[in-house]
Amino acid sequence: MDVASFAGPFLPEILLLAGTLLVFLLDVVRVRRNEVVGAVTVLGMALALLFVLADLGFAPIAGLATISSGGIDTVPSGTPLYAVTSLGLVFQAIFLLAGLLVALASLSRPSRERGAPIFFGLLSLATLGMLLVAIASDLIFLLLSIEITSIATYLLVAYTRRDARSMEAAMKMYIIGALSTTLSFFGASLLYGAYGTTNLYAIRAVAGTGGYPVLVLLGYGFLIVGLAFKATLVPFHAWAVDVYDGAPTDVTAFLAGGSKKVGLFAFFLVFLGPVLLARTAPSGGPFTNGAVALGPVLQVTLSVLAVVTMTVGNVLALLQKEMKRMLAYSSISQAGYMLIGVAIGTAPALAGATLQMFAHVFMKGAAFLLVAGVAAWGVGPLIEDWRGLGTRRPLTAVAFALMLLSLAGVPLTIGFVSKFVLFSAAVQAQGYFVWLAVAGLLNSALSVFYYARVLKVIFFEAPAPRSEPLGVVAGASEPEVLPAGGFGYGRATAIALAVIVIVAVGVYPQPVLGAIQAAAQQFVSLGP
Amino acid sequence: MVSLADLFGYAFLVPLLMVLSFVIVGLAGTRLKRFEWGGWLAVGFAGAALVVGVLIAAAELMDPSRYTNVQFTWFHLPAAPGVFPNGFSLVAGTLVDPISALMLLVVTVVGFLVMLYSIGYMHHDHGLPRYYAELSLFLAAMSGLVIANNLFEFFLFWELVGVCSYFLIGFYYEKPSASSAAKEAFLVTRVGDVMFLLGIFIYFYYYATTGPSGGWAANGFVFVRGTTPFLAGAMGGQSTVLTVAGIMILGGAAGKSAQFPLHVWLPDAMEGPTTVSALIHAATMVAAGVYLLAVTSLFIGFTSTDQLAIVAVGGFTTFFAATMAVVHPDIKRVIAYSTISQLGYMVLAVGAGFAMVGLFHLFTHAFFKALLFLAAGSVIHAVGTQDLFKMGGLRKSMRVTAAAFAIGGLALAGIPPFAGFWSKDDVLSAVYSQLPSHPAYWPFFVLAVAAVFLTAYYIFRAWFLAFSGDKPRDPTLPHAHEGPWVMQVPLVVLSAFAVGAGLFIFWPNFQGLLLHGAGAAGIPPVYGPADLALSATSVFLGVAGIGLAWALWGHGKVFVLADSSPVQPLRRLLLNRYYFKVGFDWIGAKGVYTVARAADFVDRFVIDGTVHGFERMFAELSDRLRRIQTGVVSDYAAYVVAGLIAVFVLLLFVAPYLVAKFGGG
Repeated sequence: MDVASFAGPFLPEILLLAGTLLVFLLDVVRVRRNEVVGAVTVLGMALALLFVLADLGFAPIAGLATISSGGIDTVPSGTPLYAVTSLGLVFQAIFLLAGLLVALASLSRPSRERGAPIFFGLLSLATLGMLLVAIASDLIFLLLSIEITSIATYLLVAYTRRDARSMEAAMKMYIIGALSTTLSFFGASLLYGAYGTTNLYAIRAVAGTGGYPVLVLLGYGFLIVGLAFKATLVPFHAWAVDVYDGAPTDVTAFLAGGSKKVGLFAFFLVFLGPVLLARTAPSGGPFTNGAVALGPVLQVTLSVLAVVTMTVGNVLALLQKEMKRMLAYSSISQAGYMLIGVAIGTAPALAGATLQMFAHVFMKGAAFLLVAGVAAWGVGPLIEDWRGLGTRRPLTAVAFALMLLSLAGVPLTIGFVSKFVLFSAAVQAQGYFVWLAVAGLLNSALSVFYYARVLKVIFFEAPAPRSEPLGVVAGASEPEVLPAGGFGYGRATAIALAVIVIVAVGVYPQPVLGAIQAAAQQFVSLGP
Repeated sequence: MVSLADLFGYAFLVPLLMVLSFVIVGLAGTRLKRFEWGGWLAVGFAGAALVVGVLIAAAELMDPSRYTNVQFTWFHLPAAPGVFPNGFSLVAGTLVDPISALMLLVVTVVGFLVMLYSIGYMHHDHGLPRYYAELSLFLAAMSGLVIANNLFEFFLFWELVGVCSYFLIGFYYEKPSASSAAKEAFLVTRVGDVMFLLGIFIYFYYYATTGPSGGWAANGFVFVRGTTPFLAGAMGGQSTVLTVAGIMILGGAAGKSAQFPLHVWLPDAMEGPTTVSALIHAATMVAAGVYLLAVTSLFIGFTSTDQLAIVAVGGFTTFFAATMAVVHPDIKRVIAYSTISQLGYMVLAVGAGFAMVGLFHLFTHAFFKALLFLAAGSVIHAVGTQDLFKMGGLRKSMRVTAAAFAIGGLALAGIPPFAGFWSKDDVLSAVYSQLPSHPAYWPFFVLAVAAVFLTAYYIFRAWFLAFSGDKPRDPTLPHAHEGPWVMQVPLVVLSAFAVGAGLFIFWPNFQGLLLHGAGAAGIPPVYGPADLALSATSVFLGVAGIGLAWALWGHGKVFVLADSSPVQPLRRLLLNRYYFKVGFDWIGAKGVYTVARAADFVDRFVIDGTVHGFERMFAELSDRLRRIQTGVVSDYAAYVVAGLIAVFVLLLFVAPYLVAKFGGG
């Protein structure tokens, strides 16, 4: 076994690891300029993304040949720790895009600001953990990869070390996170007790057939709770609002746009097996002492969680007065939509949920990045502080409007496509899943209220009287006009990229959608 | 070799150019003071769109048999058991065919001229960047609608047209009447939109698998050209489902095209700038409804019950709206009622099965109605009032405008050889040709013929009031003068069209265009002796109407109806618009107005009330829930534990019970 064949499947991870180590190494030799370490991180992530896309056969750029012929999707023989699947690679791309957007935007921070190596190093490390989650095929490997990400993000939230609010947020996240991790591992150990293996594909082969002992249910229950922390499902979301609000906004963008999807992909990996088998093989199998099949029970539970999450998230978003908190609650409700995909468990539904997560990177992640940029102009945290931005900074306002419209699901944006695919998959699945679509539609309608309110404030309300003109940092000793529309080139690039994706995929979604649909189909049909 | 027909694939350029104009003027308009706040930029884009539109129309005229469908799949959902067993596609594309080429010509020509005219007319207004941006988007939406190749895309642009009209009618939003008129237009057409959407759902649900290669849903609901309409086979003569769908489509069209009983919004929409009225009435919004009916009848198909309903609505509206125009003192509203009435003719023709005849009338009407509006705008610009009884003698100081208004009036009255004569005559003889086989059309045909007389009368009443006589009846009016060249050029160009557009019918290629657009159904009637007699009648009625107007109002006379006159109550009824707005209690259950009012009530109180009620409820709930967010970490840990218990209750008790009882998904 030569090095190349071992390194082959891990090239993206190795590249990212190298980038991470290089950043920390640069710190040791006292190269700490924001631009330098930032550039190293961006480069590492971009290269890793390139290799992930290469593994996907450059779908959707070069067509779907690799995915649709099932080239890389094979059932792992034996019980290896990892399995590279097309859907896993799609998720790696999503994670890397999220990391890349945040890293790009953070290039624009003042070059002498402290903590740049820590920030970028931890960002790379968290992304590395996420990449590992995407190729996990073993429960323990999965949970440990999630831990890598989690620990890196706890530190990211607190990296400034000065802001008391960030410190408090990190502390909360750490405590609740530790609790959740414990519960996850406990659940995993119960499943091991029941199945005698922790390999997800091996479990997938037997889980859900016939009945089940209570042991299995307890195991899955603890896993739901543990993973729900990461995915910010209600009622395990309370930490998220405080942390999203308290963390440095760029970190929030990463948490909302990137790391929360780790939890949702873990739901894919862990719960798809039983759900799938429930659909295909309703009876027979090793666990026959229960009267009701496992899959449908899990489906009902996940469906309830999904509806509760989207509804509570939306309702709470309604009355938020602060921009970041509004976006945070909206982010929670979006997790509810995504969970629908797992609850239904058909290939179209998984495709819809995946597209929704892909879209969310560019809608919500970029929205937080934009909020961070606007805050740097001295605009306050309240929604009404944004009054008149439409006339003062029309480009910024239009970009933000596009993100919100996409979140609301307006046609010709990516948000419409993903919701359309997801909800129509629910309708296609029939049965009570139709009601999931109805709940999703009602929630979308509800969400329009708070997005429209923000748009009204930005475009139709007169600017608040203020002593200093916009574009000038409040409290700065001498007024300084910020370059490139006031965002700095990195942040402006990241936001422009997001807007382009929102509109381009909204207008012509077929390449991206087709690749995701093919990958989801492969993932579902990966039989034991 | 490059030929004009290669352009067919680039029809999307028209809406794209206008969207660009919207984006650029919208974003940068405030910095473009030197370009009339972006106005000249918008004129430039509209000019470019005009070139594309005219070239496409010209190419289609050269070879009218061409149907050029360019599309890409917007997105596709793979086949799966369920409602759409063959999958579901949404496609975006453009269809250039005789109908859309004709409409594209109308939209781009009138749109460009209105944009140019605005430079002069709107010069003194505030908020011009907003105006030009919205006008650009309006044109983008309309041209997109015209070349849409499937129902879904059509509906998207349809909604966009509605939204733009809301903003433009309410352009003077500081005026309460303007913003309430905008709201009214939006809400009333919304009733129609909901019906349209229901119609689409019916098609989607019942005919998803009808049609070639997997069915309509798998093909993205595109308009398929055939010798018979798409669903003709499914109709089987009379299908209840299709009839209902057709009625829903009629409802949508009636909302947008201001047909009875959803006509109430249009006269009030005069609150917008006159240029917007011209655009709404001639080329964009109201034409969309007729266009929808035409497209549906040619591509999808109406049942004969639908056709009777359409004929009834069109024929009745023609007469009904004309009566209200007879007494109105406001120059713009007279023309507004005339629009409703003329749209009735188009709807009538489409309903009788002659979609292309209806579109021919739409084509000529667009030019002479835009002309009338812009001429009226010119008058209003000069004297600052819309009250006909204050004007008078304006022909001396405003020769171009007076001539333009007269030409528009002659065209509207159907006097040969002006444009309106040819198309209106076509409509009448088309319906006439159906009378032997459809005797139920008779009353509506008679109403439509009678409306010819009223039309000629009211439009020349307006002309005599405004332009004849020696001097204005209100001495305080400012001295009138013609507007700048940007206002006069469109008047002259449109006058030329108002004279000549009808003569197109003698051009074999144009005839070919109408014939090919019609498919097998709806070929324009052949002139026989009966048609000639009909023409003679309608010309006689037109001349008689003008004569009566001259007798009563000529030379600056003002005809005053004695208070004791027995027709006085009728006049009051008309002036109050049949009390449609004053209060429906007076006419009580009479007429469908109750329905309209009920729809309005439902929209305003039930739907709005529910929405606001829900909003309040959620606000309340939100407030309660917010208190959970204590910020104390031990509370959050407690929530996790509580959630854990809840999940276990769900997993162990609730979910198994539900699954055992109802079965899994």
